[in-house]
Amino acid sequence: MAAESPTSERKVVVHLRATGDAPILKQAKFKIAGSDKFLKVIEFLRRQLHRDTLFVYVNSAFSPSPDELVIDLYNNFGFDGKLVVNYACSMAWG
Amino acid sequence: MATTELCSEEALRFIWGGAIPLQIHLHESEVTTLPPPPPALILGPRIGYLPLLVPLLKPYFSSTLPPGVDTVWFDYKGLPLKWNIPTGVLFDLLCAEPERPWNLTVHFRGHPGETLIPCESEDNVKWSFINALKEAAYVINGNCKNVMNLSQADQFELWQSLMKGNVEAYQRIASRLKLGPIGEDCTLKTGAGQPRQALGEADTAGSSRVGRIPVRLYVRNIIQDLDDFDEATAVDSWDSISYINRPVEIHKHEGHLLTLRTALKALLPEIFDDETMPDNQIFSKEEGCQVTNPSFEDYETPNSLRNVETEEASIISDSVVLSKKPKVKLIRIQGIELDLSIPFFWVVNNLMNPDYFIHICVFTEASPSQVLVR
Repeated sequence: MAAESPTSERKVVVHLRATGDAPILKQAKFKIAGSDKFLKVIEFLRRQLHRDTLFVYVNSAFSPSPDELVIDLYNNFGFDGKLVVNYACSMAWG
Repeated sequence: MATTELCSEEALRFIWGGAIPLQIHLHESEVTTLPPPPPALILGPRIGYLPLLVPLLKPYFSSTLPPGVDTVWFDYKGLPLKWNIPTGVLFDLLCAEPERPWNLTVHFRGHPGETLIPCESEDNVKWSFINALKEAAYVINGNCKNVMNLSQADQFELWQSLMKGNVEAYQRIASRLKLGPIGEDCTLKTGAGQPRQALGEADTAGSSRVGRIPVRLYVRNIIQDLDDFDEATAVDSWDSISYINRPVEIHKHEGHLLTLRTALKALLPEIFDDETMPDNQIFSKEEGCQVTNPSFEDYETPNSLRNVETEEASIISDSVVLSKKPKVKLIRIQGIELDLSIPFFWVVNNLMNPDYFIHICVFTEASPSQVLVR
């Protein structure tokens, strides 16, 4: 998820946190372009964890639509300068 | 004002009873019989979602489908339709001039995985709906415990009521979530009539913020000087629609002054203004470009308009420099073209979707010479 976008585009800091028995990533904090969709975060996790089925949440609360823009999610639900994204291999918060 | 007077029973029934007459054509590449099957005529509930119509459509077309595995998707004039957007919103947004019946094409194969998230079953739609409800609860309360604490049976009932269009069953469960209604001052009223403070994790303004109302905005620009929408070019890509998910923030003591206009102005300051802009008004680059970081001026963006908030600790995604402001052509909520002076609390209580979001379609008008993309 390294930045490939123009340097003038602002990035959102995403903090990926494992839930339950999901593997913990070696590197958990990333910067992603605000104009990217949440889908990019989901796909990144799928690749890193080699799993197709993942449950991805914001603030341990709800799963945003993959179409949501990261910038909107950060503005609405981010705190302390980052967006906390939790991932699990089975449904954590049904 | 008693709780029952804040919401109109009649409005609720109109919202739940509203439906789009659809004429659904099977895509020609999937027709294996002669003559080809006639299109299916079906009513799509406004508050529902297109994939929920599949159980009715599949048997209708099944005898003509080629063998294989189905992943159903719809398109309108070639644009794959995002199934997680309520049917009524899709219609209001994509048919600038309402088309009756609305002609859609259904596909059972060839799912465009790149541009569209697949919907494999009703469960995908249910998951999307429940999470939207949780998101709304989070916006309003700062957490979604009320939705998470619903029993399995209640969650099932809630979903079933939406699928069947049973507003009484829906109300029985949804009312317990206490996510509404809001009073004339736009604050949340609990059953006891006491306003409740809404606190969010991102609450930086502390006591000056009273509440947040979940809103989903869809902004479509019509690049023509049109008197009527019949001639508007169809949307050929979702890139030309600006989708903005941003709550309206109600500040202390200002709620009772809030009209639809003032609420939208807070979300889209570069489009809304206190007066309609005269055509010959020119804005300087500094006025038209709401950025705090000068390096954004060089960013190239398609014809999309983003909200910029300079007071909150939020990040600016991109900006469009305009030589003249685009004018708001109209606002559509639940298929109604609203007068902007309507009190916002009424819009929230009566026009929201079952997911507790207000879905607002904003049509702007800018002729090609007016919009400069930097």
